[in-house]
Amino acid sequence: MTDTSAALLEARGLTFLRRDEPVFGPVDFALRAGEVALIEGDNGSGKTTLMRVLTGLLHADEGSLLLYGEPLSVERASGELAFLGHQLGLKLELSPLENLRVAAGLFGQRKGVSPASALASVGLAGYEHEPVRRLSAGQKKRAALARLLLIPAALWLLDEPYANLDREGIALVNRQVERHAHEGGAVLVTSHGAVTFLNGAYRRIALAS
Amino acid sequence: MSGARVSSACAAVLRRDLLLAWRRRGDMALPVLYALIVATLFPFALGPEAQLLARIAGGVVLVTVLLAMLLAFDGLFRPDLEDGSLEQLMLAPQPLPLLLAMKIAAHWLTTALPLMVIAPLMAGMYHLPWPAMKVLLLALLIATPLLSLLGAVLVALTAGTRRSGMLLALMLLPLCVPVVIFAAGAVTAAQQGLPWVAPIAWLGAALALALVLAPLACAAALRIALDA
Repeated sequence: MTDTSAALLEARGLTFLRRDEPVFGPVDFALRAGEVALIEGDNGSGKTTLMRVLTGLLHADEGSLLLYGEPLSVERASGELAFLGHQLGLKLELSPLENLRVAAGLFGQRKGVSPASALASVGLAGYEHEPVRRLSAGQKKRAALARLLLIPAALWLLDEPYANLDREGIALVNRQVERHAHEGGAVLVTSHGAVTFLNGAYRRIALAS
Repeated sequence: MSGARVSSACAAVLRRDLLLAWRRRGDMALPVLYALIVATLFPFALGPEAQLLARIAGGVVLVTVLLAMLLAFDGLFRPDLEDGSLEQLMLAPQPLPLLLAMKIAAHWLTTALPLMVIAPLMAGMYHLPWPAMKVLLLALLIATPLLSLLGAVLVALTAGTRRSGMLLALMLLPLCVPVVIFAAGAVTAAQQGLPWVAPIAWLGAALALALVLAPLACAAALRIALDA
């Protein structure tokens, strides 16, 4: 991409207030296709709030947010971004496969990826038909990560994707993130900063509390 | 990459909610049991006089069914709000009102439809004659989706607040009243051999209006609930 083309996601002076107290901001960054950026901040520094603002679900009080150079709204953003939050968006009574089928119905699916193959690539082969309720916390996270592989979204917003994951799971997230960036997507990852699992020199966006 | 079509998204949401209701079918039985118990207790309290029971049959069945539906409203959006499914629904590239309409449809199918199945049984216990029973079923067929839609708007409006059950009941009461008046009015008219089409037509008009407007209102209310 050339410099003149619009960034995938761009924030200008983004500020979020709660009872007139700033939760975060002002935050400025531009994320282009193929880029990975790490949002760092302590507990309570507003990482999750920032993520929800970036999805368009929450409105910032000041500043502007552009998706492909156009103002971001939840209607505009829908389908362009995949969000993995603390609440995984999985139905506990359904199996991972059934959950992914719902996601595929809502978002569509990538070429060459099926719900079953997405589950296999996050290491959940053999658990396809087990209710999500019976999976461990880390396995639930993996099932949610499989959704990212399945749905055709260019921008990934991952809020603490490493929580509950074992060493193998962390490596899996890193592989997924790198591959997605390599394929022309963009990824924003939050981390509380104590440990950074992403290897490589990625851009860091610091949130001060 | 292939995007999802609106029809497949609607089917996915409908199938998911029906499947969830089937996995939790114990919860599904609760409103039905509640309605049966209430309808069974009335004759014990009022006495077994057939004429009296036939006169109150329409009202008792209607009120019982509507109250039983109230029991299940809390499960309409709250579980989705709590486990993050609602966020995923909002981020999907589909019209949210349509997806919510599918959720409301699934809710009606899983709570109101079982109640409609036992309604003839309840009305039979009260010696409601067949011509009036037909009108009662028709009234329920229109009144229950209307109530599902109205209830869904209120559930969406109170979704952000904790312990919203009480608030929901208070808000739903004034909206229930006209539904009960028109539905019971039709049944009474049929029992007395009077024309009963007018109240049913009013209910139908309200249902048509709610079918269009309620999903839009739900979508707006839930967006506000998540934007806080």
